[in-house]
Amino acid sequence: MKNRTSFSLSVIAGAMLAGTALQSAFAADANTENFRQEFLNGKLSWEDVEKRAREEGTVNWFHWGGSEELNAWIERHVVPKMKEKGITLKTTRIAGTREAVDLVLTEKQAGKGPGEGTVDMIWLNGDNFYTLATQKALFGSFADKLPKSVNFEFDPKVPASQLNLSDFGTPTEAREMPWSGEQYVCYFDTSRLTREKAPKDFAGLEKWLGDNPGRFTYVKPPHYIGNTFVQTVLYAHNPKGNGFKEFQRPLSSFSAEEFAALIKPGFDYLKRIEGNLLGGGKAVYPQNQAANQSLYNNGEVDFACEFGLYLVASKRESGAFSETTETLAFPASGMIKNKNFLAIPENAPNPAAALVLANIMSTVELQISKLQEIGYPLGVDLSKLTDADKAKAADAAPSHHGVSAEELGSLAVADTNASLVKVIEKVWIAYIERQSQKPFTEIVKDAMKAN
Amino acid sequence: MGGTGKSLKIVAGLAPAAFAMGILFIGALGLSILQSFGYAPAYGVSEFPTFRFYERVITEEGFLLSLGLTFYYAIVPTVIGAIFSLLLALALMKGFKGKGAFLFLYKIPMVVPYLVGVSLVILLFSNGGLIARLFYHLGMIGSPSDFIRLLGTSSGYGIFLVYLWKQVPFMTVMLYAHLLVLDHRQRESAYLLGAGPLQRFFHVTLPGLAPALFSATLIVFAFNFGGFEVPFILGAGYPNTLTVEAWRLFDDPDYTNRPAAMALTTLILVLSSLCLALLIGFYRSWQRKWGQL
Repeated sequence: MKNRTSFSLSVIAGAMLAGTALQSAFAADANTENFRQEFLNGKLSWEDVEKRAREEGTVNWFHWGGSEELNAWIERHVVPKMKEKGITLKTTRIAGTREAVDLVLTEKQAGKGPGEGTVDMIWLNGDNFYTLATQKALFGSFADKLPKSVNFEFDPKVPASQLNLSDFGTPTEAREMPWSGEQYVCYFDTSRLTREKAPKDFAGLEKWLGDNPGRFTYVKPPHYIGNTFVQTVLYAHNPKGNGFKEFQRPLSSFSAEEFAALIKPGFDYLKRIEGNLLGGGKAVYPQNQAANQSLYNNGEVDFACEFGLYLVASKRESGAFSETTETLAFPASGMIKNKNFLAIPENAPNPAAALVLANIMSTVELQISKLQEIGYPLGVDLSKLTDADKAKAADAAPSHHGVSAEELGSLAVADTNASLVKVIEKVWIAYIERQSQKPFTEIVKDAMKAN
Repeated sequence: MGGTGKSLKIVAGLAPAAFAMGILFIGALGLSILQSFGYAPAYGVSEFPTFRFYERVITEEGFLLSLGLTFYYAIVPTVIGAIFSLLLALALMKGFKGKGAFLFLYKIPMVVPYLVGVSLVILLFSNGGLIARLFYHLGMIGSPSDFIRLLGTSSGYGIFLVYLWKQVPFMTVMLYAHLLVLDHRQRESAYLLGAGPLQRFFHVTLPGLAPALFSATLIVFAFNFGGFEVPFILGAGYPNTLTVEAWRLFDDPDYTNRPAAMALTTLILVLSSLCLALLIGFYRSWQRKWGQL
């Protein structure tokens, strides 16, 4: 803020003033960059960080603002907590996380380095993190250096750490703090479809679609919800039989032929069911989860899938889903689970305040309140909590409606390596959507080349 | 001396608009053309000059399909809209009860944004929309989802509905205003010389209206050709217009695709300029033939 004021002053007051203002701006940047280096190298105590955060006084958090429940929860709980630390939390509610990523990158292109940007923190995962990471626009490895880092499993030897160390296959390298978790689930209306008759795996889905043509569809890739459905299909049809494990490998370790052989059975399945999807022969794929939900609510499809362990609970609560909507544990071959994160951009103007915000978000108190009040799953790892906190978390969790947490937990599998996702979505577009007549291996080769 | 003063005045008058155009339009245009030729260091692409991105988007499977759809979505509603507007404008020339109210009401869509039209069409015509439910309650279909699928397909019916709803009033205003000032004496003398109503229309009214009809059609066509939001929301996931394809490339998390998006938008610009130039050329030769120039 200070820099920007001095900058606008300089424009008004002319060359001489501009010179001095510019000098002070440079000093401020060097100062911020210095802070970044010292913090990342472990030379600062947490008291130093909190002191600097108080001096900064504000923190600008950009987050997807499409959920009124979440917005209200932030106002109710996070704002007062930050106030106690002497920091004003300013939230910017955006329609898509990409907006914040674009802002950071535009500023970076305009030469705004550490301390000179406008975004202190972004709630993100997957593609958006991948973009910031490849454009080298992140603050650095901070997530394992906060006091509340103890609530997360960062030890690569423990399997549970995978969700914290890898974001859609992109190594997080502690450049983002886990904030919430999600699992791909399906929902259905028990008044239209009984649990016994609902498909349980992909073979069951194919048969069910044969009997009930047009009563299901999935979100269109390259939307991540659609990509995830396709990935789940590929896991289930992995000819090597090791399901999701084969898809943890990076793209560079595959030849085109090997990768084509791995995904061909899954894509053939998608091709087979296409004629029985919604649309009467010409499959209709909704553009996003909201469009899919309205197909479901309109009675055009009988069940639908997206990320949301507590989606049914919160949508039933708000009246957006019928009271007869329940969660469906589909497919039995494995439901993809991942986390979403809080990242600090490289050019954050208030990095210390952002670190304090990340730390507060990772407290057991706020994590449990977020779970209980708005049904956002825990980002912290249960295994790292005390027994008392574990019990509190168990009490706080809303119902999954129809399935148990154990059942969902036992079906959870890891996300696909991000470098493979890009190829998979391109193959889907060529093979399923554009019905390319080229040999399958050629399609895969083209998709790998375009990457 | 007087000449310089006059031209100075013209320059001064044009300056604000030219300035805004220069910065907002020409600047952005120049930047996107530069990017399309491979100058985008911010995204890690600096191969200027290269035709690679043009080659890529043109040889992409589905390019011709998208191109065809772009023309289809642009031409069909423009032609239908022009015919409707012509009929409506002629009808408005006659007196009828409630004409004053109608003259006000029919212009309302002009001030309502396109996106509102899109929501109206979704509310009314989607499977599960009001009309589908009405058909269901009348027992004509087994469930609302059996209603004929008008939206989310490449047929373009939903898109046409929005374009017509918004553009027929616009074209009618232009035609009606022109009709009001058209010289009545020509029509009257044609009548006195024994011309029938169709002859009067095709030989007197239509040629007189041609300038207004032509410019209205041109504006609407150019808009529809470059339109994005309506086909994006109401069209099929695939295939769709070139603008939607360009947006997909632009929105890709891999930013090295952005120059390809810019190549596509530049192509859209070139194509629509070519179309306009051709249309204007045809119009001029038609005018010469009919002795209007």
